[in-house]
Amino acid sequence: MLREKIAYDVRECLLSVKGVNLNLGGRPILRDVNFEVHNLYRPGMLQGQVVGLLGPSGMGKTQLFRILAGLNPPDSGHVLIGDPPVPVAAGMVGVVAQHYPLLHHRTILGNLVVAGRQAGQPAKAAETEAQRLLEVFGLKEQGEKYPVQLSGGQRQRAAIAQQFMCSNQLMLMDEPFSGLDPLALARMCQFIKDIAQTDEHKTFVIVTHDIASAIEVCDTLMVLGRDKGPDGHFIPGAKIQQTVDLIARGLAWHTGISRTPEFHAAVNEVKDLFAHL
Amino acid sequence: MTPAGSRKAAGLLQAFSPNKILSRSAMNIIVATQVVVFLLIWAFASFKVLPKPGEVFASIGDLWTNQGLGQELLSSLSLNFEAVLISAVLSIGLAYLTVLPFFRPLVAAIGKGRFLSMAGFTLVFTLLVGGGHPLKLSLLVFAMTVFFVTSMASVVAEIPKADFDYARTLRMKEWRVVWEVVVLGTVDKAFEVLRQNAAIGWMMLTMVEGIYRGEGGIGALLLNQQKFFKMSEVFGIQIIILIVGLCQDLIIGALRRFVCPYATLTLERK
Ligand SMILES: Nc1ncnc2c1ncn2[C@@H]1O[C@H](COP(=O)(O)OP(=O)(O)O)[C@@H](O)[C@H]1O
Ligand SMILES: [Mg+2]
Repeated sequence: MLREKIAYDVRECLLSVKGVNLNLGGRPILRDVNFEVHNLYRPGMLQGQVVGLLGPSGMGKTQLFRILAGLNPPDSGHVLIGDPPVPVAAGMVGVVAQHYPLLHHRTILGNLVVAGRQAGQPAKAAETEAQRLLEVFGLKEQGEKYPVQLSGGQRQRAAIAQQFMCSNQLMLMDEPFSGLDPLALARMCQFIKDIAQTDEHKTFVIVTHDIASAIEVCDTLMVLGRDKGPDGHFIPGAKIQQTVDLIARGLAWHTGISRTPEFHAAVNEVKDLFAHL
Repeated sequence: MTPAGSRKAAGLLQAFSPNKILSRSAMNIIVATQVVVFLLIWAFASFKVLPKPGEVFASIGDLWTNQGLGQELLSSLSLNFEAVLISAVLSIGLAYLTVLPFFRPLVAAIGKGRFLSMAGFTLVFTLLVGGGHPLKLSLLVFAMTVFFVTSMASVVAEIPKADFDYARTLRMKEWRVVWEVVVLGTVDKAFEVLRQNAAIGWMMLTMVEGIYRGEGGIGALLLNQQKFFKMSEVFGIQIIILIVGLCQDLIIGALRRFVCPYATLTLERK
């Protein structure tokens, strides 16, 4: 089945990772990681993007995530964001960590408002924006509840909504698909695709080991893995091994892609790749 | 066994199953039973030195009407309240100060005061603050603070790194991170630590009121009764202190639930 080609332009650079190296406990974790994320522009359409950083467990994804978030500096190399590019610092990009942290002593509405205030919004505006996001994220009834009173899925959406209150274009997520039942997982995938395409004009960078979900929601995939030396042994330290352009394969920006043979072919291809990382 | 009987037996078994939550009325029955058993053992124990419940309660009445128990209790209550307040402010303040590396050794050193005997401090404190009320107060504050600051500093030290990082991702500057994560984030725990450590004040009371008896107080009263081997009076005063302590616990607990409604939401035993 051949899908029509969708025209788009590659515009300014949103995130640029240059020569990032990281050692922990004397062991290389990341070795010369390089990639860029550009703003894509579809004529006549608002199109956010979803970029996936995919790799097996223990490969250093969370460590890379922390570096991209500006929480840890790399041993060498740079992470630049925006146009004109500036070195990343904590708070410059939206960050949804793995267990969806929220301020436990504030209500959900309070959590959102405090984030808005941190981003410099006046109290009234922050409150209005928080109410709007609660509505968008299906949390309208939960505003007065405390984080411990939410379900896992609600908590995840609340954590994302909170980051929306205070972040600019980039949004990082660590393992957003883990710990969800199949229904919640499908809803999460749809949710990310939806908000990437709303007027928020967000770019998501998703760190995950979930191949199928990543292919479903992402338009570009980068696979993290280790090199093999001439003797067949792994060289410690992960780098980007392969970039998969899912737009070119017709696996992005269409509905119902997860039922197509191309989708399953791509999943199997990445699975095979994983086996050699 | 009749069906009703076997249901009761099953209910009884529940009280001995791990992590079971019993209804409030069932818990009340258990408490009442234990109190009754305790009173029975007390009433029929063959220790000669032990005063009987009747004697003790009679002497409480006598202390109240003839020896100004109410007055003394009020004096002790106000002294304790003052000490708890000062100690709470000091300890919580010091614990929060440990976010600054400069203060960590100081706070750790104050906590080590736990190992020192109060008796060894009376002379120093007398010379420092003079005698009387200030002496009692400072001794109580010291005794409470060394424990309180230890617990509270460990609450602060045990905040996970992830909590700090998370606050930073919300664009908080470091002082704002301290306010949000260290101060607001631990208020519920601070109440619990306060509840546990405020009891030390009552434990220390007889000692400090014995040093300076000018203001009286229930501790001084207890020492007077002890001097004359008035066992049932001594027991009576102990019971009064226990009841006051229970109320103090309940009040601080209620305060915690009021100020931090989120704190008890997820507990199995609310
Ligand atoms: N503090 C640390 N010291 C040493 N090694 C660490 C530390 N934290 C993580 N690692 C190692 O770094 C590697 C990558 O971890 P992580 O980024 O969490 O992997 P994942 O890809 O599953 O997110 C793992 O092998 C882990 O053992
Ligand atoms: Mg991880």
